[in-house]
Amino acid sequence: MIDPVVSSVAKIGGTDSVRAGTETKASGEALAPGNDFTSVLAQMAVDAADTVKSAEAVSIAGIKGNASVQQVVESVMAAEQSLQTAVAIRDKVVAAYLEVSRMTI
Amino acid sequence: MFDPLKASQSIAASGLDVQSHRMRVIAENMANSQSTGTEPGSDPYARKTVVFSNVFDEMVGANLVNVDQIGTDPTPFRVERDPGHPAADENGHVKYPNVNILVEMGDMREANRSYEANLQMMKQARSMVMMTVDLLRSS
Repeated sequence: MIDPVVSSVAKIGGTDSVRAGTETKASGEALAPGNDFTSVLAQMAVDAADTVKSAEAVSIAGIKGNASVQQVVESVMAAEQSLQTAVAIRDKVVAAYLEVSRMTI
Repeated sequence: MFDPLKASQSIAASGLDVQSHRMRVIAENMANSQSTGTEPGSDPYARKTVVFSNVFDEMVGANLVNVDQIGTDPTPFRVERDPGHPAADENGHVKYPNVNILVEMGDMREANRSYEANLQMMKQARSMVMMTVDLLRSS
């Protein structure tokens, strides 16, 4: 674990993915040894996309009348929050990388 | 769900859900406040009640509220004399539902206020999450 930025992001990704159960736990273990930047970002993107997908499904159910307004709003809000968090973390990490690459050698 | 703020949003959502069920039952009671039976001497619509209960949700990791059961109010029916009514018994008495519109109105207002409170809870939790995420952005 040479890069503190990447390891801190890996931690964030790790705790975020715990709740999705065994499948994400396996991917969390896969992250630990390699710990490479792209896989961390990819995992974050997958997590965010999953939440957005489930929100979409609930929204469609809501339009069809199978889900209540509360359920639709709750899932859309959860998707919005996880997306905003993912975007903010991505921006921060990308900015840190750019900062490193700008270093004069 | 290990994020307490997300958990509190889920809890508030369960509150919203429960209050909307309560609202549905109140609407039923109000709409049926004059529903009598069809045969002579038969029982009219009985007022429905909602029982809430506290359940532990493993997905959220917190105690949520849900509708335990929808029961019926055992108070006696209102009896009016109306011999021409199809539901009138041999003495000309018709049983009307034990629904008191004033009580239902009070219940409705309370459901509305609880709903509002839970909504406010959700708003606050959301704004706390967003404020924290904004910490990453504003640099």
